[in-house]
Order: sequence, then structure tokens, then C-alpha cells
Amino acid sequence: MIQQTNRGLWQHRTGIAVRWSLYLLPALLFYTAFMAFPLFDSVRLSFFKSGSFLSKDFVGFDNYIRLFSDKENSLRFWSAFAHTWYFFFIHMAVQNILGILFAVLLMEKGLKGAGVYRTIIFIPATLAVLVTGYLWKLILNPQWGALAVFLKTIGLEQFSLPWLGETRYALTTVSLVSAWQWVGMPTMMFLAGLQNISDDMYEAADIAGATKLQTFWYITLPMLKPVIGIVTILTFVGNFNAFDVVFAMENVNGAPLYSTDIMGTLFYRVGIAGQHPVSIPDPGMGSAIATTTFLILAIGSALVLKATSETSSRQAIR
Amino acid sequence: MKKGLMILVSLALLINGVQVFASGGADSATNGAKEPVKLVMGSWRADDVEQMKGLLAEYTKTHPNVIIEFKPTNPPDYNATLRLQLTSGTGPDLMYARSYATGLQLFNDGFFADVSNIPGLKENFTEGARSPWMTQDGKSFAVPFVAVSHGVYYNKDIFQKLGLNAPETWEDFLKGCDKIKAAGITPVANSLGDEWDIAEVVFMSIAPNFIGGREGRLAYESGKRPWNDANMVATFQAMKDLVPYLPAGFEALTYNDSNALFATGKAAMYFDGSWSLGTFKSVPFQWGVLAPPPPKGKAPQICFHADAGIAMNTKTKYPKEASEFLAWIASKEGATTAAKYLPTGFYPMINAPITIADPHANEMLALNKGRGLDVRLAWPRLMEGEPSGYNLIMYGSIQVMKGIKTPQQAADDLAAGLAKWFKPTK
Repeated sequence: MIQQTNRGLWQHRTGIAVRWSLYLLPALLFYTAFMAFPLFDSVRLSFFKSGSFLSKDFVGFDNYIRLFSDKENSLRFWSAFAHTWYFFFIHMAVQNILGILFAVLLMEKGLKGAGVYRTIIFIPATLAVLVTGYLWKLILNPQWGALAVFLKTIGLEQFSLPWLGETRYALTTVSLVSAWQWVGMPTMMFLAGLQNISDDMYEAADIAGATKLQTFWYITLPMLKPVIGIVTILTFVGNFNAFDVVFAMENVNGAPLYSTDIMGTLFYRVGIAGQHPVSIPDPGMGSAIATTTFLILAIGSALVLKATSETSSRQAIR
Repeated sequence: MKKGLMILVSLALLINGVQVFASGGADSATNGAKEPVKLVMGSWRADDVEQMKGLLAEYTKTHPNVIIEFKPTNPPDYNATLRLQLTSGTGPDLMYARSYATGLQLFNDGFFADVSNIPGLKENFTEGARSPWMTQDGKSFAVPFVAVSHGVYYNKDIFQKLGLNAPETWEDFLKGCDKIKAAGITPVANSLGDEWDIAEVVFMSIAPNFIGGREGRLAYESGKRPWNDANMVATFQAMKDLVPYLPAGFEALTYNDSNALFATGKAAMYFDGSWSLGTFKSVPFQWGVLAPPPPKGKAPQICFHADAGIAMNTKTKYPKEASEFLAWIASKEGATTAAKYLPTGFYPMINAPITIADPHANEMLALNKGRGLDVRLAWPRLMEGEPSGYNLIMYGSIQVMKGIKTPQQAADDLAAGLAKWFKPTK
């Protein structure tokens, strides 16, 4: 009996699936033409000789060997790799923690004008990265930037430092600007996650006499775990593909002295633009970098997804 | 569904058919030789569209059968775009050619035509002017078109107020800087934020004075001198000498910031190239250009750099018309017309007296008199391998100026980096 209904349901479902798949077809075509094909083509390109976009000389793993065995190339690659992790770390520590904090504060019942705050927090995310990048570059300009002028008027000139010109601070500064810009995204996602947590739990906690901090730690945070997972993946993918914020603030070389060079700028410089002034791009090597980045992203995303999907399926059982 | 497909296919066929007819029409027109031939010129000078349009219109006046269209690309993308166009067979008929390795590579790959026999080329240009676009065995792959000069812009009002003159030696220059700094003005506007300019408009502008100009460069390139000899160390030391005189926060200021510091009178001097002459047209003070001075006891030199040649596509449909244009550019008549239209600070390379209207551009060109001339140090030989001499000089200068390395270490790094691939000229 049970089996029969199951089979009926199954047939019914497959019927729906076939019909639905027709609706997916246009999107699938576009995805294949503009996402999947370029992706696989760039993997293919990484096995071909560089020097020309239309080159047909198959060289096997030569581009990868040159990338990792040549001292100069591998130094650039691993330094960009490390910088990207640092970039990701700052985003996790600043952007996503602030995101949770803002979301929790916005959910506070007594808060007046939550809509206004929500808008303010989200506005930077609607601006172009090039615009915010140049804006911050201007604000941080040691000669006529707003920050330098402000510090001078309050007599703290000694703290007016060339934030974007010192290898010690440059990457942190750029990362913070990027975190500032995108903080609205995790805020919105956490807000949506918080709205899904049933009030019963908070009421129960209230009755049990839990403090605010305890409620956050033992109810809010565990219930947000799946959202945290998604936000982590999005941040991870976004950061390993990031390019524009460094391009806008520190040019394609990742100035000063390659200290803000991340995977995105390295790929752009090697594969597309070529380095000033000779600027002969090396598409084969660029594709090798892109493919390596793709592998890192695929493995990283799979790991995070696995960790968080376990939690969400456990929750579904409950 | 099937009907829709049929319509699509027939539409595609129709469009194709129209194209076939259209191109057929164009061919018959050129065969009739009634319509003027249309050539396309590629360039990285996107800022000069108006000037080049004027110049090319002048050419059509005397050659009514040829119309040349100027089609520049975004400067940083030029090399990549041009290569892509040339490989896919859609390259322009005529195009700006970079000097030395970058241009030479396109010739070696068979994209640039051999123009050694263009009439006027050998007669009207010195070998020094032609050599940036020549192969080792003496073939020319482009007609020299424009050169740029390098120097130090200075605020004449500030110099007058402090009783300073154009310095004769590097030591005098530094003394002058001290005086300006004591008066509360930033002596030198340059900065490190954009990185490239510290190598191109400061290091390579002063280097000829320290290494002994063209002859000095040839001695390095032929292996007679090691790249980390005392002269090279002295050049890096000179970069270090400049640090106390740079604006506050110079580590993060950019090329445009430096230009603005000079233009607003906040800085008294500014190392830059002649291409920036036009940017100071309306500043509210008197200014001029002085030659970067040599250290005591050395002959003065100027970095006068071969910037752009004009090359011809080997696959052009109109080789006759394209070579005629090159011959015109190589003639006195063509160069005179070009000088009239070229943007301020771009100098014709022809070996003939050419009048330049802009007084500041003239003043800068006059600095060449009595001084040795050479191109930017890294261009002739140092950009053919990895790590390129350009990058070694750029990062070496920055590290020296930030106190990360000593001048000796920077010169040693230059020598060690080049040792990986550089083969001395025979």
C-alpha cells in the first residue's frame, strides 16, 4: 500500500519534472553558452602555448610547471594566494561578524527607524566598486584626503599615515574598504535567517531566565548555522574572484611592492593585460592561474557546503 | 517549432547573402579606382583623436585618393588588442609601433612589414633615430614618428623668490632642495603610489647623467660593465637623496597627485615627461623645464625617448597606398605638417629644422643642445626577458626610497636578476 502510493507519487513527480525542465531550458542554454563553455575553454587554454589567443600548440602541463617551478612566478602566485586568504580572513572577521551584529540589532523590538538603518547599511553594496574604491582612495589621500584634513584639525597629524602606500597596512586597508562596501549583504541574509527563528524559543529562553548574551550564544547562533555556511561560501568565492577593489585602489600591480596582489589581479595581469610597459599577456599561463583558482574554489566550497548541509539536514529531521 | 527554425535559418542565410553582396559591391568599387581607398590607423594615443584627424585630413588634401581613419585603443590595452587583431587578420593597415622589443616582436612574428626601403627614411633620419625600430641586422620595421623628452618642471616664481637658478650639478640641485624645504615648500612633487612613474620619469630621467649617457648604456649592454658598478649604485643613491624632499605621504600619492601638487604651487619641482607640458597651460605662476643635472664632473645628458613609430601591416590590402603614407611621414613636408598637429610635447624625429609653436615645448627641446641624448635605459635591451630590467629598476628604486634596501643591494639585485637571462650585445 505504502509502496504503491510512493510509486504513484514518483510517477507524478517525474511528470512534473519533465514539464519543469522545459522551463529551465532557456536558462540552461544561456548558462552553458556564457558560463560553462568559457569555464571549460579556459581549462583547455591552460594546456596550450601562450603568446597568442588563437594559438593551437598543445604543451600539456607546461604552463603549470612554469607557474610553480619558476622561482619568480611561484613567488608571485603564492604571495597572491596568501594575500587572498588574508583578504578572506578580514572579510570573515569584519564584514560577517558585523553582519550578524547589525542583523541582531535590527531585529531588536524596541529599535526605532530600523528601516532607515537597514537602508544605510545596504547603500554601499549598491554602488560600483570602482566608485567606492576611488572614493576611499580620495578620503585616504595623505595630502588632501578627508581623513588627513580631519586628523590635522584635531591635532593628531602624526596619525595621518600613507595607508595605501605602506606594505604593512595596504592590504588591510583595502580589505576593510571592501568589507565596508559589502557588509549589507550578510546583514540582509542574517536578517532573513533571524526572521525564520521561531519566537517560541526566545520566549522559552526568557522564561528560563537566560541573559541576552546566553540567548544569542545558545539559540540565535546555532539556528543561524546554515546561513553562516552560505555566507561563508559566498564570501570565499567572492574574495577569490575579487579584482576590482584592488584595481581601483592600488592598480593592477597590487602596489606597493605587490603587497595587495590577490588572485584576481594576478590573473588579470598575467592573462589579460600584461604588465606595464611591455604588456604582452600570456593567456596560457593566465588560464593556468584561473584553473588553479577554480579548483581551490570548488574544493573549498564543497567542504563548507558539506559541513553546513549536515547541520541543515539534521535540522530538517527535527 | 520547426517553422520557427526555418524562419531562423532563412534569416541567417539572408543576412549572409546581403553581406556577400555588400562586400562584392565594395570590391567592384575599388577596382573602378573611383572611390578613395580607406586605410585604418591603429594607435594607443586615445587622447590625440582630434589632432590626428587634423593631420590625416591634411594628407587627404594632397592625396585625394586616400582616406585614413584614426582608430586608437585604450592605451594600456593597445599591445594586447593589436596582437589579437593581427593574429585574427583584422589588424589596421597602418599602426603605431612601440620602440624596441615590443615592436620588434610583432615584426619577428610577421605582422609588421619591412619598411627599410621607404623613400626618405635613410636620408631624413639619423641612425640613432631609426635604431629603436630596427632589427639587429639593420632592417627597419617602422618609420620613426614621435619622441618624448624628460626633465624637471620648476616653478619660476618660487625659484625667483628664493634666489635659485637652474642647478648645474646634482649637488647644487640637492642644495636648492634644502633651501626650498627651509622655506616651507615641498621641493619635489614626485611619489611612489603608482610605481611606474618613479622608474620612467625619475630614475630613467636622471640615469644617463650618472652612467654616462648612451655610451655608458652600451658599455653595460655589451657586458663591458657589470650592472651593479659604481655608476649604477650612484643612480640608486640619487633616488635615495630625493626622499627627504618628497611630499608628506609620498608612499601613497599617485602620479596625478604629484602633477596636481606642482600645478597648485605646493611643490616647487616635478620630474615628468614632455607629454605633460599641456597639463600646466593655465597654472597661475611662471614655470619652465630644467634638465636633470649630472653629478659633479660628468657630462650633462637628457633622456630623449623614441616613443612611437608607424608600421605597416604585412596583410594590408593596399600596400602601395600605405607605403606612400609612410614615405610622406618620412619626408620633410610630412614631418612639418605633423609637427603642426602633434599634441604638445611630442617631437618629430626627423633630422630637419622643424618649428614648434608652443614656447614651453620649445624650451624643453632646447635643453637638448649641448647635452648627450639617450632613450630610457630599460627600453633597448632590458625588457626581452623575465625578470625585466624595467621591473628590477622600478622595484629597486621603491625599495631604496622606502629604506628596505641600500643602493648597493638594489644594484646587486638588478645585476642578479638580469644575469638569469640577459645576453650581452656582441
